[in-house]
Amino acid sequence: MPLRLYGLRRGTLALSTTACVLFAIFILIPIAWILINSTKTQANIFQSFGFWFARPFEFFNNFKLLFQDVDGDGTYIRWLGNTALYAGLGGVGASAFAALTGYGFARYNFRGSRFLFYGIMATLFVPITALTLPLYLLYTKAHLINSIWGMILPSMVTPVGVYLMRTFVEASVPQALVDAARIDGAGEVRIFFRLALPLMMPGTMTVLLLSVVAVWNNYFLPLIIFTQNNLYPLTEGIGLWSKLTNASGDALLYPLTVIGGLVTIVPLIVLFLLIQRYWRSGGLLGSMVG
Amino acid sequence: MSAITTSPISSVGPAIQPTQLPLPGRGRSRLIRRQEGWGLKFVTPFVVIFLLFTVLPLCYAIYTSLYTNKLVGGKSFSGFANYSAIFANGAFWSGVVRVLIFAAIQIPVMLGLAFFFAVIFDLGLPRFGAFFRTVFFIPFAVPAVVGSVMWCFLLLPQFGPFTRLADTLGFTHTNFFSANLILPTIIVIVIWEWTGYNMIILYTALKMIPDDIVEAALIDGAPLRKIVFRIKLPMVRRAIVMLVFLNVIGSLQLFTEPQILGNFEPQAISFGFTPAIFIYNTAIGDLQDYQAAAAAVVLGLVVVVISVASLVLRVRKKGLA
Repeated sequence: MPLRLYGLRRGTLALSTTACVLFAIFILIPIAWILINSTKTQANIFQSFGFWFARPFEFFNNFKLLFQDVDGDGTYIRWLGNTALYAGLGGVGASAFAALTGYGFARYNFRGSRFLFYGIMATLFVPITALTLPLYLLYTKAHLINSIWGMILPSMVTPVGVYLMRTFVEASVPQALVDAARIDGAGEVRIFFRLALPLMMPGTMTVLLLSVVAVWNNYFLPLIIFTQNNLYPLTEGIGLWSKLTNASGDALLYPLTVIGGLVTIVPLIVLFLLIQRYWRSGGLLGSMVG
Repeated sequence: MSAITTSPISSVGPAIQPTQLPLPGRGRSRLIRRQEGWGLKFVTPFVVIFLLFTVLPLCYAIYTSLYTNKLVGGKSFSGFANYSAIFANGAFWSGVVRVLIFAAIQIPVMLGLAFFFAVIFDLGLPRFGAFFRTVFFIPFAVPAVVGSVMWCFLLLPQFGPFTRLADTLGFTHTNFFSANLILPTIIVIVIWEWTGYNMIILYTALKMIPDDIVEAALIDGAPLRKIVFRIKLPMVRRAIVMLVFLNVIGSLQLFTEPQILGNFEPQAISFGFTPAIFIYNTAIGDLQDYQAAAAAVVLGLVVVVISVASLVLRVRKKGLA
């Protein structure tokens, strides 16, 4: 809608842009800080001006530290590998399960399917905290504490993914198409892999992205089920360092935590900037809102 | 559709849609049974892990919450003893009150900001709108742990840049982790993390409003404020309700931000600062599995009740309207 139709004073436009600039500064302050201070030594982090660089320029030294086990408090690279493993396997598993299940609910009418679907959706009401602690209790009993599968397998259970895929399948895989294939004599498995799955790709990719991000950001579950340092994902590792920076007097931990945080968020931010074009079409968020 | 040839299906009858049942008297045809079987096959793998990792733990938690550890005799059935202990526990309730206050302040402020920006972006008011939208959404890509750590560094007592800034402005010895300021600090952090996400959802919802309605209002001479609040706002009500719902559920489970703040300043976060922290400390800190199980069940029930109640209210409202 052309702006002049709204009859706005010229000041309003300037005001809006100013509000955006102020909020953008608010958003970018922590990120700017972490970028700048990852180049400093521990002393400088505290003494120099927070928002500009200081000598010596220690970025590459700090970066190297990420590859070492600093005083037995854990190796960042190891944690990064763990996080990639958990998020990768968990995300792929989650979207595979969501695709299969969404397809099963959308294109088949079996007895009890409604009951089952709503039963699965009902667990969305149960808070994550209340779902995670019981996992811990069960793992303790079954001696599954410190098992990577204890982290990966629960991450594959995404009722939201099932819901999204079901909606997507109903919209993008026409019943008539499936029936036509059936009449042509194609088996169900063939129909799914050759016909439905290619059509479901955008939805599957969305669920994959959401699941990967969810596992990457998960803090509570690994915190509770992992006690061995070398199994920690990044969230738990950085959390541990934040505790140790105050508890111990280790001078290296401060710049380590800062650069560790930076390296953690950079890939995700870059990924988001690349993917956000895809989201701009509003497909995913539209299905959530409508 | 290809012509029906001598395929096995023709022996059953004409091609039928899965949604149509066969003629009465024939019973369930082979085709229907076959499809039902396949439907189950597609769904079963997920149902198995769902039962293992969601339903089973929940049942085990409820079972565990009914037991306690006696010094003599080990595990023993104690009925609702754990629950009465929790209901009597001041630390737990202070946490419940705290998250309710937190939600009551944070959600309106954040949604207000999100709606404001969504509206001005939808109207196309600011320049470089797409750029700003992208910037606002960046915190969504930042894990809550890292976001909290970054803010803790900024707000460190004595050394943090913001503390120094407050100092130069005349507020000497500001401690953002003090009892007075800790909750506002957490509110600011959560607003930083989530406003962009809420804004994008509202923006998408606003974009879906058909232009003709707005044009008609303009032709009728409606001022901008009326258009925004009387036309646009009601039309995105569904999105707002969903966001309030999601944010309330999230607020009740507040854990990561206070936990990280507690790493920096242990004094700032009490044992039961939020219900989720209470559960964590009970289970991991005190190793009181049975108590923690009961607390988790209580928290779960509270959230479920609130969710279902809000759902029922929504359905009722729609029925009346």
